[in-house]
Amino acid sequence: MRRLAATLLSLAAFLAAWKLLTVATGTPDYILPAPEVVAERGVRAIGSGLLWEHTAVTLTEILLGLTAGAATAIAVGTALGKSVVIERVLSPYIVAAQSVPILALAPLLDIWFGGGLLARVLICGLIVFFPIAIATMVGIRSADPLLVEMFRSLGATPGQRTARLEIPSALPVIFGGLRVGVTLAVIGAVVAEWAGASSGLGVLINIADQGLFDTPLMFVALVTLAVIGIGLHGLVVSIERRVIVQS
Amino acid sequence: MSPRRFTAALLVLGLLTACGPVETPTATAPLRSVKLMLGFRPDVQFAPFYLAQQAGYFADAGLDVTIEFKDGADLMRLVAAGQPESGVFGVADATDVMISRTAGIPVTYVSTLYERFPVALIGPSGTVPTDPAELAGKRIGTPGQFGSSWHALLALLDAGGLSAEDVTIRTYPQFNQVDGLLRGDVDLITGFRNNEPLRLELEGMAVDLLTVDEVAPLPGPGLIVGDDLLGSDPGLAAEFARAMQRAVAAIAAAPEIGFDAAAEAVPAIGEERETALSVLEATILLWSTNGGRIDQTAWESGYETMVSLGFIDGSVPVGEMTSDVAAPTP
Repeated sequence: MRRLAATLLSLAAFLAAWKLLTVATGTPDYILPAPEVVAERGVRAIGSGLLWEHTAVTLTEILLGLTAGAATAIAVGTALGKSVVIERVLSPYIVAAQSVPILALAPLLDIWFGGGLLARVLICGLIVFFPIAIATMVGIRSADPLLVEMFRSLGATPGQRTARLEIPSALPVIFGGLRVGVTLAVIGAVVAEWAGASSGLGVLINIADQGLFDTPLMFVALVTLAVIGIGLHGLVVSIERRVIVQS
Repeated sequence: MSPRRFTAALLVLGLLTACGPVETPTATAPLRSVKLMLGFRPDVQFAPFYLAQQAGYFADAGLDVTIEFKDGADLMRLVAAGQPESGVFGVADATDVMISRTAGIPVTYVSTLYERFPVALIGPSGTVPTDPAELAGKRIGTPGQFGSSWHALLALLDAGGLSAEDVTIRTYPQFNQVDGLLRGDVDLITGFRNNEPLRLELEGMAVDLLTVDEVAPLPGPGLIVGDDLLGSDPGLAAEFARAMQRAVAAIAAAPEIGFDAAAEAVPAIGEERETALSVLEATILLWSTNGGRIDQTAWESGYETMVSLGFIDGSVPVGEMTSDVAAPTP
């Protein structure tokens, strides 16, 4: 109850500061709309079905991209953590892929992969991959050396060591990577939509911003993305609490 | 006489007879610093502004112009929000002016740069319908659901009794729809008729065009200014427009000077001289031939089209979207 009150108080303070800024600076709505203007536009966008139409598409891309990207990242991160040779071979490519601006690469990926959902999930997954893979690698290597030695002395196979010791002990770090990854998934979906899509919140931002010059609607899309990010982050934190307590 | 030379002659004649003598400030008068916002990215099509800077046309008008590149939406907002003392101008699509003005962004179109709407549907030779009704079922690539390309596409479909649901639209937000057409991912693309056809022909694809001008005329891009600046100093907008039209006329008469100015401002443009010069020559054919006078008939017709397509609701009269403050003197 106290946590909810603190959250609501924080939200109220944020909205008050936003409103104050628009009043104090006299900024027109087409530059920075006041919160009540955004809220009114949001209600209209919800009422017409426009917001949900685009949100559903983006949510699908986020969930699929996050799932694919995180699963691959955990598998690759585990391999990197367990084998120095694999790390030496793959690391340059992984770091290079992370260093290339995805904004430049995304339009090409969109063309190469047919411009559909697959291309957008792939772009989203690529953005999610790096922090989770690195977190997994670090986590796998953080297993207590004494416990590793004990597993060896008890005759545990490498697979048993990984499943019963290294992954459980890596979970706090993996979840740290997932917390970063889940917010990046939101950005990844928008970047993918900007590379080529006909619906989704990234598309709605473009339509509102460049097509309709409707700044309040653009803010509605931005707020929706923020809410999705906060919601998914909260979900990961909630799962983390349950999983880590159990393990 | 070739179309280019004819256009050039018209431009020069129009400038000489319509604009009258250009008043120049005294040599000691300080220049007024203003900003010019251009959309998209540096391109040879912006040659008039490079030339006006380098040849002193802006200085003759008492202006010290700094050019900046912004995307369409930011451009519109920055021009509208520009304080009178900062003097911000922009070049924007007329159709975007209609939408932004209706959305409450106070910008006014003061001088025509492109007399003809530059967007067309482009496809391999022999595959482009001449009747918009035959667009049904086609796969069409376009940058997105915004801007002049989108407006032109919907206007063409509407002229054929169709809507966006009757075709398959693939978006290329990075403006790389040419790649999509070359790969065969789409049947047709939207593009500027002074640009994309040349690029496709360079790649070996002969193309045909269906231009929006032929079936649903829309006014072309031009010079815009914020209402605050226009209200407080209408003479400034007139001087800016005259300098712009002076450069347009000079380049129409001798495209090479436009190319040289663009190449000096943006060296990358000079690396492909023949292509850039071809684009510039094709662009000249679209420019205003009457000193930038606003074609009210085209605006009214385009306004009706934009209302019928649902882009604007008609709440702001078309007369409030343009100003003849920079019209050439009869």
